[in-house]
Amino acid sequence: MRQELKDSNFEVVTIACDAKGRAAVEPFIEAAHQMHPSLLDEKLAVAELYDVRNVPAAFWIDETGRMVRANDPIYAQKRNRETGEVTLNREYMDAVRDWVAKGSASDYVMNEHGLDARMPALDSDDVQAAAFFQLGTYLAVHGHSADALVHFKRAHARRPENWTYKRQAWSLGDIERDYGTTFQEAVKDPASGPFYPPLDLGDHRKG
Amino acid sequence: MSAATILYQQSETRVEDAEEDGTKLWLTLADLTAATGWTLKPEGVCKDEICVPAPDARRAALIRDGASGTLLDLTEFARLIEQPFAHDEKSSVWYFGPAGWEWKTKLSSRRAPDFVLPDIAGKPHTLAELLGKKLLILFWASW
Repeated sequence: MRQELKDSNFEVVTIACDAKGRAAVEPFIEAAHQMHPSLLDEKLAVAELYDVRNVPAAFWIDETGRMVRANDPIYAQKRNRETGEVTLNREYMDAVRDWVAKGSASDYVMNEHGLDARMPALDSDDVQAAAFFQLGTYLAVHGHSADALVHFKRAHARRPENWTYKRQAWSLGDIERDYGTTFQEAVKDPASGPFYPPLDLGDHRKG
Repeated sequence: MSAATILYQQSETRVEDAEEDGTKLWLTLADLTAATGWTLKPEGVCKDEICVPAPDARRAALIRDGASGTLLDLTEFARLIEQPFAHDEKSSVWYFGPAGWEWKTKLSSRRAPDFVLPDIAGKPHTLAELLGKKLLILFWASW
């Protein structure tokens, strides 16, 4: 996709949200022979800033720095487990092409209401959850996985819909031993909301 | 006095002279500035252009005299500026998140929040330097 659109004043920027850092993501980045800026968000600070609740999540930013689409759950139609290479949903790719061609006149550019729905205002519980998550992550990557658990669980309880908090925490420990559940069970837990909400390209269109 | 690790959003500081009193974290004024960038001034607790006045009713909870000078309770200051925080007692690690004025307004602007992140070679990139093209920002993870 980047290859196709690179001469149309378009760029892809990937951000890896991974507390395990470079070692965890480098094999994927190398295997994909990425030519685009490929950044590392070890503290999940930018993920928090953009309110990323699961990955993959995509955002569109126009030439002037205005956000025009937010938090699309663009889970891969196909992912090569060896190389990490993903094939994006075709409908989504068509939407990107439309935006690149038409700019702000594209039907896929969101208005304020659309953006608000995708990035709702945070409340004090949400930011408290983030604090517990950050503390837990710090402890886990500094060799205190057992101590991290209580903080991770507090974060999960306050913000059950945030899968980033859960998946990162599970990857730093053992989901069955530490959380008494399995990935399959956790994904079905109705309290958490959908793991990947369906890709919705239409509801927040302009006008 | 004991050592504590303070994670003030992205900056990590080890302070040697903290007083951890249950859920409170008393810091010397030197440590306060080193760990957080905030400085106690006559007009309040200040950083750059921002000064947070210490209301009289909360002054005693915020500031007190210790054996080696004035101390400020960073948890009370956090409550004052609606800043979430979390504490691990065993490791003496404290995390402080964004102040209320940051987390309440960060999304109200339609400008995409700027950031600085390294690539895998360690070279820092900002959103500002990438602007000028249409950008598709894709968050992913290995997990």
